[in-house]
Amino acid sequence: MDASDLSTLADRCRAGDALAWEAFVRQMQGRLFALAYSYAGDREDARDLSQEIFVRLYEARGQWPAGDEFLPWLFKVARNRSVDFLRRRSVRRPASTADEAEVAHLPDLSPGAETRAIEEDRRSLLRAALRGLSAINREIVVLRDVHGLSIQQVASILGIPLGTVKSRASRARVELTERVLALSRGRGEA
Amino acid sequence: MSRITCDQIRTAALDPATRAGDWARQPDAAAHVRRCVSCQDWLEAFTAGERAWASVPGDAFAAAVIARTAGVEAVLRDLPLLADMDPGPGFTDRVLRATSQKPAPEGWRARAAGAWRALVRRPRFAWEAAYVATVCWVLVFGNPVGAMEWSATNLGATARERLGPPARELRADLETWRGRLAPDAAERGASAGHQTEAEPAVVQVWEAAVQWLRTTTSTVLDAIARTWDAVAAWVDAPADAPRRSTEPPGEAARSPQ
Repeated sequence: MDASDLSTLADRCRAGDALAWEAFVRQMQGRLFALAYSYAGDREDARDLSQEIFVRLYEARGQWPAGDEFLPWLFKVARNRSVDFLRRRSVRRPASTADEAEVAHLPDLSPGAETRAIEEDRRSLLRAALRGLSAINREIVVLRDVHGLSIQQVASILGIPLGTVKSRASRARVELTERVLALSRGRGEA
Repeated sequence: MSRITCDQIRTAALDPATRAGDWARQPDAAAHVRRCVSCQDWLEAFTAGERAWASVPGDAFAAAVIARTAGVEAVLRDLPLLADMDPGPGFTDRVLRATSQKPAPEGWRARAAGAWRALVRRPRFAWEAAYVATVCWVLVFGNPVGAMEWSATNLGATARERLGPPARELRADLETWRGRLAPDAAERGASAGHQTEAEPAVVQVWEAAVQWLRTTTSTVLDAIARTWDAVAAWVDAPADAPRRSTEPPGEAARSPQ
């Protein structure tokens, strides 16, 4: 979905179009769930968190910014909700759910399963490497390299200077790559 | 002395915006990596153990960096794979249920009501409410354990104090009513030793019923006893005839254990 389609959909949601809201949920749930998962690190928590984000977006739909400002604003709302969620979760014990790695090892016998398994393995490796980064470096990599936001947008969302984002982004990539390589060696890959 | 640092080497190697060959051919960079074991180890990780710079020529170094940069680019290229995840079945319906029926709140009252609903829906709200209620209880009524100790100590005295007068009044009333209802019976019972004549009709009927029940019961029991004796006599009559034993034939049927 490109930016203009998203902007049009956002305009219709802002006008109170229920069908547009449903389309928006269907279009954005994958991205927002992925973002929530990068913060929560747990599927069930990520589902709760992404639902909270959608509810917050729905409640504030009258104030959605128009045009190119919408996507950074969306990520800013999602990021703020995620930080609140982590703060609340820090005072309780994390939910115990099946680890994603365990789920990934369940046999999949459907067509194209091998390709999907390889892709899932790469995703799992990247997620594990991302989890090893510091919180701020992880946020920068997720927003910049995973979701493709610009350095300026990342700086605006995180509320830190542009130069800091640039230098941290470089170091975060270095750190991430080192972790990916270390994990690959640990898994017996070349 | 080279001004290139390890961080610069790594950052430049990992930055997809710069062409690795441009900086890798710089003498300072090559000189730094030839001297720096840390950078050599780090770059070695990208080439799967191939020691490209053992011979130290500049071109080999550049080729190694390019190869490793390609590896880093592959890692960065894979990162957008994480931008989309399936939240699982039912998620869309769950979100739509949580939102579509809810009008957008307007004003501070609606926002406060929404915040309250969100607060109450949390699973640990019950614990928090119980905690607040306990604190309020202690602040208002004091230590509940102390109240229990006081109650245990003073329960008897308080009961006597509170219930004594009404109990005495009730007893006096009962005595008065008893005197009004059967003034002669009490006197005759006291002089003759029994109260048969003074008993009301209900009591006489009750005693007659009890007497009838006793008589009937004894009659029925006698009949049952006679019947039982007859059955026993009938059973004992062919006692001389040989009976089949229901016992197993002794040791042969039993286990040695």
